[in-house]
Amino acid sequence: MAEISKTSGKSKGYLGGLALISVLLGLYWGLFRAPPDAYQGEVQRIMYLHIPSILTAYLSFFLVFVGSCLYLWKREKRDDILAYSAAEIGVLFTALTIVEGSVWGKPTWGVWWTWDARLTLTAILLLIFAGYLMLRSLTEDENRAASAAAVLGIIGFLDIPLIHMSVYWWRTLHQPPSILRPDKAPWDNVHPALLTALVINFVGFVLLYFYLLSQRFRLGEIKEEIKARLLNRDN
Amino acid sequence: MDFLNQTFLLLRKDLLLEMRRRESLLTMFFFGTLLLFVFHFSFDLAPERVAEMAPALLWLAFLFTGTLGLAQLFEGERSNHCLEALLLSPMDRGALFLAKTCFNFILMVLVEIVVIPLFWILFNLRSWEVIPYLFLVTLLGTVGFCVLGTLLSVVTLKARARELLLPLVLFPLMIPVILGTIRCMEAILRAGELGDALPWLRLLVGFDVIFLTVGVLIFDWVIEV
Amino acid sequence: MGAWGFVFLAYGIVWGAILMYWVTLKRRLRRAETELAQLRAAEELQRNAET
Repeated sequence: MAEISKTSGKSKGYLGGLALISVLLGLYWGLFRAPPDAYQGEVQRIMYLHIPSILTAYLSFFLVFVGSCLYLWKREKRDDILAYSAAEIGVLFTALTIVEGSVWGKPTWGVWWTWDARLTLTAILLLIFAGYLMLRSLTEDENRAASAAAVLGIIGFLDIPLIHMSVYWWRTLHQPPSILRPDKAPWDNVHPALLTALVINFVGFVLLYFYLLSQRFRLGEIKEEIKARLLNRDN
Repeated sequence: MDFLNQTFLLLRKDLLLEMRRRESLLTMFFFGTLLLFVFHFSFDLAPERVAEMAPALLWLAFLFTGTLGLAQLFEGERSNHCLEALLLSPMDRGALFLAKTCFNFILMVLVEIVVIPLFWILFNLRSWEVIPYLFLVTLLGTVGFCVLGTLLSVVTLKARARELLLPLVLFPLMIPVILGTIRCMEAILRAGELGDALPWLRLLVGFDVIFLTVGVLIFDWVIEV
Repeated sequence: MGAWGFVFLAYGIVWGAILMYWVTLKRRLRRAETELAQLRAAEELQRNAET
């Protein structure tokens, strides 16, 4: 009979507390302590959110890939729960990445949206994540949903470098003359004074991500055990 | 080799069935041609502009036509527990994947052979010499589409709203192929020969090879009863 | 909207969304844990009744 993970609630609590402290520190540093950027001004502070967000989004996708591979190989429910949890939180962080990029873009480039390589790629990532979640919820048999989603997770991950390449080529080989200069990465030339703020926010974000992931994972485990007990009872 | 024999057997079965009723082929033909007409009415283009838009319009037409083919790909196996029977047989599942991919590929190529010249005629395009190059690019793109499409067709087989879900999960993953084929075709139409298009061609070939390999290897775990 | 306006917009949306997700997650967890506890209790009862 499936038992709830031995990971004690205590360690998750510590993780949550640590995450909260780091996040608050990051907020303080990013919004107050760090000086405004020489070129971008105050708006640059959005980067303290945006850069960690992008990273957690890609980290999420990697975890979906790992979980999917392990699940198809060993068929252990834990790996499937990992993939599902990472996908759910990944969608959140990817969507937030796009919003942050957009809000940063408006004062910097003058538009809420541009089809530059980075924003486009993040949007595609969101679409793939969303497709993953839709596939899971629309497939009725649980086990089939898990394996179907695992295949999609693997294919999606393997495709990402190809998508990355094709979108970047497209955007750099055919650069139409434009007033915008979206090719400059927002994290080029990060001044050392701003680096501290970035690192602190980064740490906070990653801790927060893993905290949320652990909670979502626990939810998955509990649901699995409920299902197992219900199945047992009906037999 | 046993694997190839099995693939050929399965492919032959599908082709025979198709030749008898021609359901998939005719609907795909009709749909592809219909899309050309819809494009004509939707995009009121000056003749010079059409050459610019030709690759994109062509590929859109093939994408949607191909999706139609994918939706019907496992129709034959749905009734009478045919799919279960196939899986229970000692056949290598990779052979089933390859056979289905080839089948969809053949259907699409047959449609493309007709639609590309038709497109040229309907839209009054010149430069007929580049059509062989364009066809090569189309073939490469079609391989990528069929490979991913067959994989995802199986994966979504038992999902609700399958006809919507399949394009939803397929299209984002197809972006390298879409970009690759259209940019390739544009380069060819501009230059009259392959030159500029080479990096994109390499991307297409890479895509095809990667996912063909992945598909054959992973298909064992993909398909379940 | 001034520069700080955009900053607060971004920060507001991001932390608002994360907070909302966390709250909903906690709620789902609570509901699941209750259901599990009930199932376990019911099983205990049944096991005691059988012995």
